Amino acid sequence: MAKDKIVVNYRFRDKLNKVSGGKHHNYCYQCSACVAICPAARFAKEFNPRKILLKALLGMEEELLGKDSPIWLCTNCYSCYERCPQDVRPIEVIVALKNMAVEKQTAPANLTKLSENIAKTGMSVIFSSAVNRKREQLGLPELRTIPIDELKEILE
Amino acid sequence: MKVVPFWGCMMPLKYPQMELALRRTLPNLGIELVDIDGFTCCPDPIYFKARDKMKWLVTAARNLAVAEETDHMLITMCSGCISTLKEAQFLLNEDPALKDEVNKRLKRINREYQGKTIIKHAVEMIRDDLGLEAVKKSIKKPLEGITVAIHYGCHILKPSQIMHVDDADYPSILEDFINAIGATPLEHHEKVLCCGKGCMDEELPLEMTEAIFASIEKSGADCMGLICPTCFSSFDLGQIMISRKKGKNYNIPVIYLFQLLGLAQGLSAEEVGLHIHRVKADRILEKINGSVKI
Repeated sequence: MAKDKIVVNYRFRDKLNKVSGGKHHNYCYQCSACVAICPAARFAKEFNPRKILLKALLGMEEELLGKDSPIWLCTNCYSCYERCPQDVRPIEVIVALKNMAVEKQTAPANLTKLSENIAKTGMSVIFSSAVNRKREQLGLPELRTIPIDELKEILE
Repeated sequence: MKVVPFWGCMMPLKYPQMELALRRTLPNLGIELVDIDGFTCCPDPIYFKARDKMKWLVTAARNLAVAEETDHMLITMCSGCISTLKEAQFLLNEDPALKDEVNKRLKRINREYQGKTIIKHAVEMIRDDLGLEAVKKSIKKPLEGITVAIHYGCHILKPSQIMHVDDADYPSILEDFINAIGATPLEHHEKVLCCGKGCMDEELPLEMTEAIFASIEKSGADCMGLICPTCFSSFDLGQIMISRKKGKNYNIPVIYLFQLLGLAQGLSAEEVGLHIHRVKADRILEKINGSVKI
Protein backbone atom coordinates (compact mmCIF):
# COMPACT_ATOMS: atom_id res chain seq x y z
CA MET A 1 0.00 0.00 0.00
CA ALA A 2 1.47 3.35 -1.03
CA LYS A 3 1.82 5.84 1.81
CA ASP A 4 0.19 8.72 0.01
CA LYS A 5 -2.63 6.91 -1.68
CA ILE A 6 -5.13 4.45 -0.25
CA VAL A 7 -7.19 2.58 -2.78
CA VAL A 8 -10.28 0.83 -1.48
CA ASN A 9 -11.43 -2.23 -3.38
CA TYR A 10 -15.19 -1.72 -3.18
CA ARG A 11 -15.84 -4.62 -5.52
CA PHE A 12 -14.49 -6.99 -2.87
CA ARG A 13 -16.49 -5.26 -0.14
CA ASP A 14 -19.65 -5.65 -2.20
CA LYS A 15 -18.95 -9.35 -2.49
CA LEU A 16 -18.34 -9.62 1.26
CA ASN A 17 -21.61 -7.75 1.94
CA LYS A 18 -23.51 -10.44 0.11
CA VAL A 19 -22.12 -13.34 2.14
CA SER A 20 -24.03 -14.14 5.34
CA GLY A 21 -22.49 -12.20 8.24
CA GLY A 22 -20.22 -10.17 5.95
CA LYS A 23 -22.25 -6.97 5.92
CA HIS A 24 -21.47 -6.12 9.53
CA HIS A 25 -17.83 -5.38 8.61
CA ASN A 26 -19.04 -1.91 7.59
CA TYR A 27 -19.72 -0.95 11.20
CA CYS A 28 -16.13 -1.41 12.44
CA TYR A 29 -14.51 1.79 13.74
CA GLN A 30 -11.21 0.14 14.62
CA CYS A 31 -11.41 0.52 18.40
CA SER A 32 -9.46 -2.71 19.15
CA ALA A 33 -11.80 -3.93 21.88
CA CYS A 34 -11.80 -7.30 20.05
CA VAL A 35 -8.00 -7.51 20.13
CA ALA A 36 -7.87 -7.02 23.89
CA ILE A 37 -10.14 -10.00 24.52
CA CYS A 38 -8.99 -12.29 21.66
CA PRO A 39 -7.16 -15.44 22.85
CA ALA A 40 -5.67 -16.09 19.41
CA ALA A 41 -4.18 -12.56 19.46
CA ARG A 42 -2.79 -13.22 22.94
CA PHE A 43 -0.98 -16.37 21.86
CA ALA A 44 -0.15 -15.62 18.21
CA LYS A 45 1.28 -12.25 17.26
CA GLU A 46 0.26 -12.70 13.62
CA PHE A 47 -3.43 -12.78 14.50
CA ASN A 48 -5.22 -9.49 15.06
CA PRO A 49 -8.98 -9.21 14.51
CA ARG A 50 -8.87 -5.40 14.18
CA LYS A 51 -6.36 -5.71 11.34
CA ILE A 52 -8.53 -8.34 9.65
CA LEU A 53 -11.45 -5.91 9.81
CA LEU A 54 -9.25 -3.07 8.51
CA LYS A 55 -8.22 -5.21 5.56
CA ALA A 56 -11.89 -6.00 4.95
CA LEU A 57 -12.72 -2.27 5.01
CA LEU A 58 -9.95 -1.62 2.50
CA GLY A 59 -11.00 -4.60 0.39
CA MET A 60 -7.62 -6.33 0.53
CA GLU A 61 -8.81 -9.55 -1.04
CA GLU A 62 -5.47 -11.26 -1.58
CA GLU A 63 -4.34 -10.81 2.04
CA LEU A 64 -7.65 -12.08 3.40
CA LEU A 65 -8.40 -14.91 1.02
CA GLY A 66 -4.87 -15.95 0.01
CA LYS A 67 -3.33 -19.19 1.19
CA ASP A 68 -1.45 -17.46 4.02
CA SER A 69 -4.47 -15.62 5.37
CA PRO A 70 -4.48 -15.29 9.18
CA ILE A 71 -8.26 -15.97 9.34
CA TRP A 72 -7.66 -19.69 9.97
CA LEU A 73 -5.97 -18.95 13.31
CA CYS A 74 -9.29 -17.76 14.78
CA THR A 75 -10.26 -20.00 17.70
CA ASN A 76 -14.01 -19.44 17.18
CA CYS A 77 -14.48 -18.43 20.82
CA TYR A 78 -16.95 -15.57 20.20
CA SER A 79 -15.15 -13.22 22.62
CA CYS A 80 -14.95 -10.54 19.91
CA TYR A 81 -18.68 -10.85 19.26
CA GLU A 82 -19.24 -10.44 23.00
CA ARG A 83 -17.04 -7.37 23.32
CA CYS A 84 -17.64 -5.42 20.10
CA PRO A 85 -19.51 -2.14 20.81
CA GLN A 86 -20.53 -1.82 17.15
CA ASP A 87 -22.21 -5.21 16.60
CA VAL A 88 -19.61 -6.02 13.95
CA ARG A 89 -19.68 -9.65 15.09
CA PRO A 90 -16.02 -9.99 13.96
CA ILE A 91 -16.09 -13.79 14.11
CA GLU A 92 -19.03 -13.85 11.71
CA VAL A 93 -17.11 -11.60 9.31
CA ILE A 94 -14.23 -14.08 9.59
CA VAL A 95 -16.65 -16.97 8.90
CA ALA A 96 -17.92 -15.04 5.83
CA LEU A 97 -14.30 -14.65 4.66
CA LYS A 98 -13.76 -18.38 5.20
CA ASN A 99 -16.84 -19.15 3.08
CA MET A 100 -15.34 -16.96 0.34
CA ALA A 101 -11.96 -18.70 0.62
CA VAL A 102 -13.70 -22.07 0.25
CA GLU A 103 -15.41 -20.77 -2.90
CA LYS A 104 -12.04 -19.57 -4.19
CA GLN A 105 -10.45 -22.91 -3.27
CA THR A 106 -7.80 -21.34 -1.08
CA ALA A 107 -9.03 -22.81 2.22
CA PRO A 108 -6.71 -25.26 4.03
CA ALA A 109 -7.12 -28.83 2.79
CA ASN A 110 -7.93 -30.23 6.23
CA LEU A 111 -11.06 -28.07 6.46
CA THR A 112 -12.79 -30.46 4.06
CA LYS A 113 -11.51 -33.45 6.01
CA LEU A 114 -12.87 -32.01 9.26
CA SER A 115 -16.35 -31.41 7.90
CA GLU A 116 -17.07 -33.75 4.96
CA ASN A 117 -18.48 -36.53 7.14
CA ILE A 118 -21.60 -34.48 7.96
CA ALA A 119 -22.84 -34.29 4.37
CA LYS A 120 -21.99 -37.97 3.83
CA THR A 121 -23.41 -39.53 6.98
CA GLY A 122 -25.24 -36.77 8.85
CA MET A 123 -22.77 -36.97 11.74
CA SER A 124 -19.51 -35.09 12.31
CA VAL A 125 -17.84 -38.02 14.04
CA ILE A 126 -17.03 -41.12 11.99
CA PHE A 127 -19.13 -44.08 13.02
CA SER A 128 -17.53 -47.49 13.49
CA SER A 129 -18.64 -50.80 14.96
CA ALA A 130 -16.33 -50.07 17.89
CA VAL A 131 -18.66 -47.21 18.82
CA ASN A 132 -21.63 -49.54 19.20
CA ARG A 133 -19.53 -52.02 21.18
CA LYS A 134 -18.45 -49.29 23.57
CA ARG A 135 -22.06 -48.12 23.93
CA GLU A 136 -23.23 -51.65 24.56
CA GLN A 137 -20.60 -52.15 27.26
CA LEU A 138 -21.86 -49.01 28.97
CA GLY A 139 -25.47 -50.17 28.69
CA LEU A 140 -26.51 -47.36 26.34
CA PRO A 141 -29.32 -47.72 23.78
CA GLU A 142 -28.52 -48.38 20.14
CA LEU A 143 -27.94 -45.30 18.00
CA ARG A 144 -30.93 -44.04 16.06
CA THR A 145 -30.98 -44.06 12.29
CA ILE A 146 -29.82 -40.79 10.77
CA PRO A 147 -32.16 -39.38 8.08
CA ILE A 148 -29.34 -38.87 5.60
CA ASP A 149 -31.65 -38.76 2.56
CA GLU A 150 -33.49 -35.75 3.97
CA LEU A 151 -30.21 -34.03 4.70
CA LYS A 152 -28.84 -34.64 1.19
CA GLU A 153 -32.04 -33.24 -0.29
CA ILE A 154 -31.70 -29.88 1.49
CA LEU A 155 -27.93 -29.59 1.03
CA GLU A 156 -28.03 -29.91 -2.78
CA MET B 1 -40.78 -32.67 33.41
CA LYS B 2 -40.45 -34.00 29.87
CA VAL B 3 -37.69 -32.73 27.60
CA VAL B 4 -36.35 -33.80 24.21
CA PRO B 5 -32.60 -34.45 24.34
CA PHE B 6 -30.45 -33.38 21.41
CA TRP B 7 -27.42 -35.63 21.82
CA GLY B 8 -25.38 -34.43 18.86
CA CYS B 9 -22.35 -36.43 17.66
CA MET B 10 -19.53 -36.01 20.15
CA MET B 11 -21.36 -37.52 23.11
CA PRO B 12 -23.03 -40.58 21.57
CA LEU B 13 -20.11 -41.47 19.28
CA LYS B 14 -16.94 -40.22 20.94
CA TYR B 15 -17.64 -39.75 24.62
CA PRO B 16 -20.61 -42.01 25.45
CA GLN B 17 -19.65 -41.81 29.12
CA MET B 18 -21.15 -38.30 29.07
CA GLU B 19 -24.43 -39.58 27.66
CA LEU B 20 -24.33 -42.33 30.28
CA ALA B 21 -23.91 -39.83 33.11
CA LEU B 22 -26.83 -37.76 31.81
CA ARG B 23 -29.12 -40.74 31.35
CA ARG B 24 -28.35 -41.88 34.89
CA THR B 25 -28.53 -38.54 36.70
CA LEU B 26 -31.31 -36.52 35.03
CA PRO B 27 -34.15 -38.92 35.98
CA ASN B 28 -33.11 -38.46 39.63
CA LEU B 29 -33.98 -34.78 39.22
CA GLY B 30 -37.44 -35.57 37.91
CA ILE B 31 -36.52 -35.09 34.27
CA GLU B 32 -37.87 -37.52 31.70
CA LEU B 33 -35.84 -37.73 28.49
CA VAL B 34 -38.11 -38.18 25.47
CA ASP B 35 -35.82 -39.47 22.70
CA ILE B 36 -37.12 -38.79 19.20
CA ASP B 37 -36.06 -39.81 15.69
CA GLY B 38 -34.94 -37.48 12.95
CA PHE B 39 -31.95 -35.50 14.20
CA THR B 40 -28.61 -35.17 12.38
CA CYS B 41 -25.41 -33.42 13.52
CA CYS B 42 -26.41 -29.95 14.81
CA PRO B 43 -24.17 -29.23 12.56
CA ASP B 44 -20.78 -28.33 13.94
CA PRO B 45 -20.43 -24.55 14.41
CA ILE B 46 -16.79 -24.37 13.34
CA TYR B 47 -15.71 -26.36 10.29
CA PHE B 48 -19.05 -27.05 8.61
CA LYS B 49 -20.06 -23.42 9.12
CA ALA B 50 -16.70 -22.22 7.78
CA ARG B 51 -17.31 -24.12 4.55
CA ASP B 52 -20.81 -22.90 3.83
CA LYS B 53 -22.84 -20.94 6.38
CA MET B 54 -26.07 -21.36 4.41
CA LYS B 55 -25.76 -25.17 4.48
CA TRP B 56 -24.95 -24.96 8.17
CA LEU B 57 -28.07 -22.88 8.80
CA VAL B 58 -30.39 -25.10 6.74
CA THR B 59 -29.17 -28.24 8.53
CA ALA B 60 -29.71 -26.60 11.92
CA ALA B 61 -33.16 -25.33 10.89
CA ARG B 62 -34.10 -28.86 9.85
CA ASN B 63 -33.18 -30.18 13.30
CA LEU B 64 -35.24 -27.42 14.90
CA ALA B 65 -38.19 -28.22 12.63
CA VAL B 66 -37.98 -31.86 13.78
CA ALA B 67 -38.00 -30.71 17.43
CA GLU B 68 -41.04 -28.50 16.75
CA GLU B 69 -43.10 -31.61 16.12
CA THR B 70 -43.15 -32.16 19.87
CA ASP B 71 -44.26 -29.59 22.42
CA HIS B 72 -41.34 -30.22 24.72
CA MET B 73 -38.30 -28.12 25.40
CA LEU B 74 -35.20 -29.13 23.42
CA ILE B 75 -32.18 -29.60 25.64
CA THR B 76 -28.58 -29.99 24.57
CA MET B 77 -25.69 -31.10 26.68
CA CYS B 78 -22.92 -30.14 24.27
CA SER B 79 -21.58 -26.60 23.95
CA GLY B 80 -21.19 -26.99 20.18
CA CYS B 81 -24.82 -28.04 19.73
CA ILE B 82 -26.13 -25.25 21.93
CA SER B 83 -24.05 -22.75 19.98
CA THR B 84 -25.36 -23.87 16.59
CA LEU B 85 -29.00 -24.32 17.57
CA LYS B 86 -29.36 -21.07 19.49
CA GLU B 87 -27.48 -19.05 16.87
CA ALA B 88 -29.52 -20.55 14.04
CA GLN B 89 -32.73 -19.69 15.87
CA PHE B 90 -31.44 -16.16 16.51
CA LEU B 91 -30.50 -15.58 12.86
CA LEU B 92 -33.76 -16.98 11.51
CA ASN B 93 -35.86 -14.92 13.91
CA GLU B 94 -33.77 -11.80 13.22
CA ASP B 95 -34.14 -11.93 9.43
CA PRO B 96 -37.51 -12.93 7.88
CA ALA B 97 -36.03 -13.03 4.36
CA LEU B 98 -33.41 -15.52 5.52
CA LYS B 99 -36.11 -17.59 7.20
CA ASP B 100 -38.08 -17.69 3.92
CA GLU B 101 -35.00 -18.79 2.02
CA VAL B 102 -34.33 -21.57 4.54
CA ASN B 103 -37.95 -22.67 4.52
CA LYS B 104 -37.90 -22.92 0.72
CA ARG B 105 -35.18 -25.55 1.09
CA LEU B 106 -37.01 -27.33 3.91
CA LYS B 107 -40.14 -27.49 1.77
CA ARG B 108 -38.30 -30.02 -0.43
CA ILE B 109 -38.66 -32.48 2.44
CA ASN B 110 -42.06 -31.21 3.62
CA ARG B 111 -40.71 -29.53 6.70
CA GLU B 112 -41.01 -26.01 8.00
CA TYR B 113 -39.09 -24.02 10.58
CA GLN B 114 -41.44 -21.90 12.66
CA GLY B 115 -39.22 -20.89 15.57
CA LYS B 116 -41.42 -21.98 18.44
CA THR B 117 -39.14 -24.44 20.25
CA ILE B 118 -37.47 -23.41 23.48
CA ILE B 119 -33.82 -24.49 23.37
CA LYS B 120 -31.74 -24.72 26.52
CA HIS B 121 -28.52 -26.24 27.72
CA ALA B 122 -29.16 -28.90 30.38
CA VAL B 123 -27.49 -26.85 33.16
CA GLU B 124 -29.49 -23.79 32.13
CA MET B 125 -32.73 -25.79 32.22
CA ILE B 126 -31.86 -27.23 35.62
CA ARG B 127 -31.10 -23.79 37.05
CA ASP B 128 -34.10 -22.00 35.51
CA ASP B 129 -36.87 -24.59 35.25
CA LEU B 130 -36.13 -26.96 38.13
CA GLY B 131 -34.03 -24.93 40.52
CA LEU B 132 -30.81 -26.08 42.17
CA GLU B 133 -32.85 -27.27 45.14
CA ALA B 134 -33.85 -30.25 42.99
CA VAL B 135 -30.15 -31.03 42.52
CA LYS B 136 -29.49 -30.77 46.26
CA LYS B 137 -32.42 -33.07 47.02
CA SER B 138 -31.03 -35.76 44.70
CA ILE B 139 -27.67 -35.88 46.49
CA LYS B 140 -26.90 -38.96 48.56
CA LYS B 141 -23.20 -38.48 48.99
CA PRO B 142 -22.22 -34.79 48.95
CA LEU B 143 -18.73 -34.33 47.49
CA GLU B 144 -17.49 -32.62 50.63
CA GLY B 145 -13.85 -31.63 50.55
CA ILE B 146 -13.55 -32.09 46.77
CA THR B 147 -12.22 -28.99 45.04
CA VAL B 148 -13.13 -28.39 41.40
CA ALA B 149 -11.46 -25.98 39.00
CA ILE B 150 -14.15 -25.04 36.52
CA HIS B 151 -13.49 -24.64 32.83
CA TYR B 152 -16.43 -22.86 31.22
CA GLY B 153 -15.56 -23.23 27.56
CA CYS B 154 -16.75 -20.55 25.17
CA HIS B 155 -19.99 -21.49 23.58
CA ILE B 156 -22.32 -21.86 26.52
CA LEU B 157 -21.67 -18.21 27.38
CA LYS B 158 -20.79 -16.31 24.23
CA PRO B 159 -22.25 -14.35 22.62
CA SER B 160 -24.48 -13.57 25.61
CA GLN B 161 -26.80 -11.65 23.26
CA ILE B 162 -27.75 -15.06 21.82
CA MET B 163 -26.98 -17.55 24.57
CA HIS B 164 -28.73 -15.74 27.42
CA VAL B 165 -27.15 -18.04 29.99
CA ASP B 166 -24.92 -15.91 32.19
CA ASP B 167 -22.47 -13.01 32.40
CA ALA B 168 -19.78 -13.94 29.91
CA ASP B 169 -16.93 -12.45 31.97
CA TYR B 170 -18.05 -13.29 35.50
CA PRO B 171 -20.27 -16.35 35.18
CA SER B 172 -21.49 -18.32 38.18
CA ILE B 173 -23.87 -20.96 36.78
CA LEU B 174 -21.34 -23.80 37.03
CA GLU B 175 -19.99 -22.72 40.43
CA ASP B 176 -23.56 -22.76 41.76
CA PHE B 177 -24.01 -26.26 40.35
CA ILE B 178 -20.76 -27.46 41.98
CA ASN B 179 -21.85 -25.96 45.31
CA ALA B 180 -25.20 -27.73 45.01
CA ILE B 181 -23.49 -31.14 44.82
CA GLY B 182 -21.47 -30.36 47.93
CA ALA B 183 -18.09 -29.83 46.27
CA THR B 184 -16.09 -26.60 46.36
CA PRO B 185 -15.39 -24.60 43.19
CA LEU B 186 -11.88 -23.11 43.19
CA GLU B 187 -11.12 -19.88 41.36
CA HIS B 188 -8.31 -19.86 38.83
CA HIS B 189 -7.33 -17.03 36.52
CA GLU B 190 -7.86 -18.81 33.16
CA LYS B 191 -11.37 -20.01 34.00
CA VAL B 192 -12.97 -18.49 30.90
CA LEU B 193 -10.06 -18.89 28.47
CA CYS B 194 -10.85 -20.79 25.26
CA CYS B 195 -9.36 -24.32 25.07
CA GLY B 196 -8.12 -23.60 21.54
CA LYS B 197 -9.64 -26.62 19.86
CA GLY B 198 -11.43 -24.57 17.20
CA CYS B 199 -8.19 -23.06 15.92
CA MET B 200 -6.77 -24.59 12.75
CA ASP B 201 -3.18 -24.49 13.91
CA GLU B 202 -1.06 -27.12 15.61
CA GLU B 203 0.88 -25.10 18.15
CA LEU B 204 -1.60 -22.46 19.28
CA PRO B 205 -4.17 -24.83 20.88
CA LEU B 206 -1.45 -26.57 22.88
CA GLU B 207 -0.22 -23.26 24.26
CA MET B 208 -3.74 -22.32 25.26
CA THR B 209 -4.53 -25.61 26.98
CA GLU B 210 -1.20 -25.44 28.74
CA ALA B 211 -1.98 -21.97 30.08
CA ILE B 212 -5.21 -23.40 31.50
CA PHE B 213 -3.45 -26.42 33.04
CA ALA B 214 -0.86 -24.17 34.66
CA SER B 215 -3.64 -22.01 36.08
CA ILE B 216 -5.48 -25.05 37.49
CA GLU B 217 -2.30 -26.59 38.88
CA LYS B 218 -1.63 -23.35 40.73
CA SER B 219 -5.16 -23.42 42.18
CA GLY B 220 -4.44 -26.84 43.70
CA ALA B 221 -7.84 -28.23 42.69
CA ASP B 222 -8.52 -31.99 42.85
CA CYS B 223 -9.97 -32.04 39.36
CA MET B 224 -11.15 -30.01 36.44
CA GLY B 225 -14.92 -29.76 35.94
CA LEU B 226 -16.34 -28.95 32.51
CA ILE B 227 -19.42 -29.26 30.33
CA CYS B 228 -18.13 -29.29 26.76
CA PRO B 229 -17.08 -32.52 24.98
CA THR B 230 -14.76 -30.63 22.63
CA CYS B 231 -12.98 -29.03 25.57
CA PHE B 232 -12.84 -32.51 27.13
CA SER B 233 -10.77 -33.80 24.22
CA SER B 234 -8.41 -30.82 24.59
CA PHE B 235 -7.83 -31.61 28.24
CA ASP B 236 -8.08 -35.38 28.63
CA LEU B 237 -6.27 -36.58 25.51
CA GLY B 238 -4.66 -33.13 25.47
CA GLN B 239 -2.76 -33.88 28.68
CA ILE B 240 -1.21 -36.94 27.04
CA MET B 241 -0.24 -34.81 24.02
CA ILE B 242 1.35 -32.13 26.21
CA SER B 243 3.20 -34.76 28.17
CA ARG B 244 4.58 -36.23 24.90
CA LYS B 245 5.39 -32.96 23.19
CA LYS B 246 6.52 -30.84 26.12
CA GLY B 247 7.48 -33.41 28.73
CA LYS B 248 5.22 -31.88 31.36
CA ASN B 249 2.83 -34.13 33.30
CA TYR B 250 -0.10 -32.33 34.89
CA ASN B 251 -2.16 -35.36 35.90
CA ILE B 252 -5.37 -33.39 36.41
CA PRO B 253 -8.52 -35.54 36.13
CA VAL B 254 -11.01 -33.97 33.72
CA ILE B 255 -14.59 -34.64 34.74
CA TYR B 256 -17.85 -33.81 33.00
CA LEU B 257 -20.20 -31.96 35.34
CA PHE B 258 -22.88 -34.63 35.16
CA GLN B 259 -20.33 -37.30 36.08
CA LEU B 260 -19.63 -35.31 39.24
CA LEU B 261 -23.38 -35.08 39.83
CA GLY B 262 -23.59 -38.87 39.41
CA LEU B 263 -20.87 -39.46 42.01
CA ALA B 264 -22.73 -37.17 44.40
CA GLN B 265 -25.95 -39.06 43.71
CA GLY B 266 -24.15 -42.17 44.93
CA LEU B 267 -23.30 -43.74 41.56
CA SER B 268 -19.98 -45.54 41.16
CA ALA B 269 -17.13 -44.33 38.94
CA GLU B 270 -17.99 -47.04 36.42
CA GLU B 271 -21.66 -46.15 36.44
CA VAL B 272 -20.75 -42.69 35.17
CA GLY B 273 -18.04 -43.97 32.80
CA LEU B 274 -15.04 -42.43 34.57
CA HIS B 275 -13.04 -45.60 34.00
CA ILE B 276 -12.62 -44.85 30.29
CA HIS B 277 -10.95 -41.48 30.75
CA ARG B 278 -7.27 -41.24 29.81
CA VAL B 279 -6.34 -39.30 32.91
CA LYS B 280 -7.47 -41.50 35.76
CA ALA B 281 -9.51 -40.04 38.58
CA ASP B 282 -8.15 -42.39 41.27
CA ARG B 283 -6.99 -39.61 43.59
CA ILE B 284 -10.35 -37.88 43.76
CA LEU B 285 -12.21 -41.20 44.01
CA GLU B 286 -10.05 -42.16 46.96
CA LYS B 287 -11.01 -38.90 48.57
CA ILE B 288 -14.70 -39.64 47.97
CA ASN B 289 -14.79 -43.36 48.70
CA GLY B 290 -11.76 -44.21 50.75
CA SER B 291 -9.35 -46.35 48.76
CA VAL B 292 -11.41 -47.50 45.77
CA LYS B 293 -9.46 -47.94 42.54
CA ILE B 294 -10.85 -48.01 39.02
